Amino acid sequence: MSNPKAEIKKQVKKHIPKDWLCELRILYRLSMETVNGIRRTGLGNFVIITTLAAILTIFGAFFRTALTMSSFAHELGSVLEISVYLKDNANAIVSKNSIQAIPHVVSVNVIPRANSWADLRREMDLPDMNNPLPDTLHVKVDAPENIEPVFNSVKKMSAVEDMSYAQDVAKKIEALNQIVNTITIFVLIIMCVLTITIINNTIQLVIQARKEEIEIMRLMGVSNWYIRFPLIMQGAFYGFTGALVALIPIHFVELGLNNMHEFFMVPLPLYTQQFVVLTMFAIGTLFGATGSFLCIKKHLQV
Amino acid sequence: MIQFRSVTKKYKNDNYALKNINLDIQSGEFVFVVGASGAGKSTLMKLLYNEERPTSGTVTIGGINIANLSNDKVPNLRRCMGIIFQDYKLLNNLSVYDNVAYVIRTLGISSKEISARVLGALKIVGLFDKMRATPAELSGGEQQRVGIARAIVNGPPLVIADEPTGNLDPKNSMEIMQILDQINQRGITVIVSTHDNAMVDYFRKRVITLDNGEIVRDIQAGTYE
Repeated sequence: MSNPKAEIKKQVKKHIPKDWLCELRILYRLSMETVNGIRRTGLGNFVIITTLAAILTIFGAFFRTALTMSSFAHELGSVLEISVYLKDNANAIVSKNSIQAIPHVVSVNVIPRANSWADLRREMDLPDMNNPLPDTLHVKVDAPENIEPVFNSVKKMSAVEDMSYAQDVAKKIEALNQIVNTITIFVLIIMCVLTITIINNTIQLVIQARKEEIEIMRLMGVSNWYIRFPLIMQGAFYGFTGALVALIPIHFVELGLNNMHEFFMVPLPLYTQQFVVLTMFAIGTLFGATGSFLCIKKHLQV
Repeated sequence: MIQFRSVTKKYKNDNYALKNINLDIQSGEFVFVVGASGAGKSTLMKLLYNEERPTSGTVTIGGINIANLSNDKVPNLRRCMGIIFQDYKLLNNLSVYDNVAYVIRTLGISSKEISARVLGALKIVGLFDKMRATPAELSGGEQQRVGIARAIVNGPPLVIADEPTGNLDPKNSMEIMQILDQINQRGITVIVSTHDNAMVDYFRKRVITLDNGEIVRDIQAGTYE
């Protein structure tokens, strides 16, 4: 006696031939269903894509700025020079010799106060007045990790009025970068919630409009994935197209930041812009699809 | 082929739609399920295509208990049967041909095969020359015939018709029943729920009578009452 389960499987197989050509046809049909779904949404597509483009632009701009600030902090952090400002009555040559004796110091350059003042007057077009600038020493250190100990040793000298070094500025930029990073993460979270909500509402409207059709498909035995897939693809399409439109404003953000890099002569890390664009596309598409998927889970019994 | 064992269906409001149903339907049978409105006919049909699940008991089709079938398997079950509804459930924006072809297109079958199957089904229901019309251009009887063509296009071993003549006049009802009878003569099991006593009396098939969720009569070559 034949196994009834095997008999049913045989029956199903007879009617559903599964081969690669069959899979291709299903994929083609699913793609057509997706295109039809988008076409039926009409003008709504424009509103959804524009909104998503705006959200992705805000995220992209923050993300790109965070990367620029990070490269600035990194660049400044690698400058191995300390500026030492001497007291009015200090002897620059004596101080230079004392500093040169400190371990890890490579060289010490004296910038006389008269030279500094002349440069400043020329640059700022200042009137003739008493020179308020001190003598300055530029101290070069052999390695970034030795800047801190050299800085502390020089600071103890009685002839020293004030000191600064690029890493100090780098630390401040790094702190600012942390703030921008935090804001970027917040923007990312808000962006995700907004994208999912917008896609969710859109797909909900699509489901409402196609409720009868979906109900018939379900009752006729159309597979759950065949019903879900075009809707998920529609959500992903909105995210992807939103990212595509966002490329235009992001290009201008990129131009502005590139000018800044050129002005300060800070090199831009390789593939920064490509990384930002790729992230925007990935996030847009992924959250578009997720929004759609969550909506289907909530509103369809498939 | 189909077995109901101690099947009870209770809805949330504590109303019993079906009470302790025990039933066997053999392959190739034609069965009328009759009873007054609210007797449980539609619930029994819905249990067959897994739109409802029993509160207790088992519903077995071809040796598989469909009462606890996972959601992902339900489409597979429904593809092995044809379902006909009182309100036809046709897609009004599609032609007759596309309505019939709709489901088999989702299976990845070639256009040639789809065409052969759809035209074959349309010939059986006598709508070959109206394949380009939309449902709105058809009479109620013709729309139900499209529903039948769609149900049989995949060559299922079982056809379930839930009040298929409920919206039709006697002439169209007779035509629909005759088509279902022809389908049954091809070896397909047909289960029809109806309260059309004239049809039941005319065809003299097995009649299962439900009253208040219970089987009160089950006779071969029976009449409505």
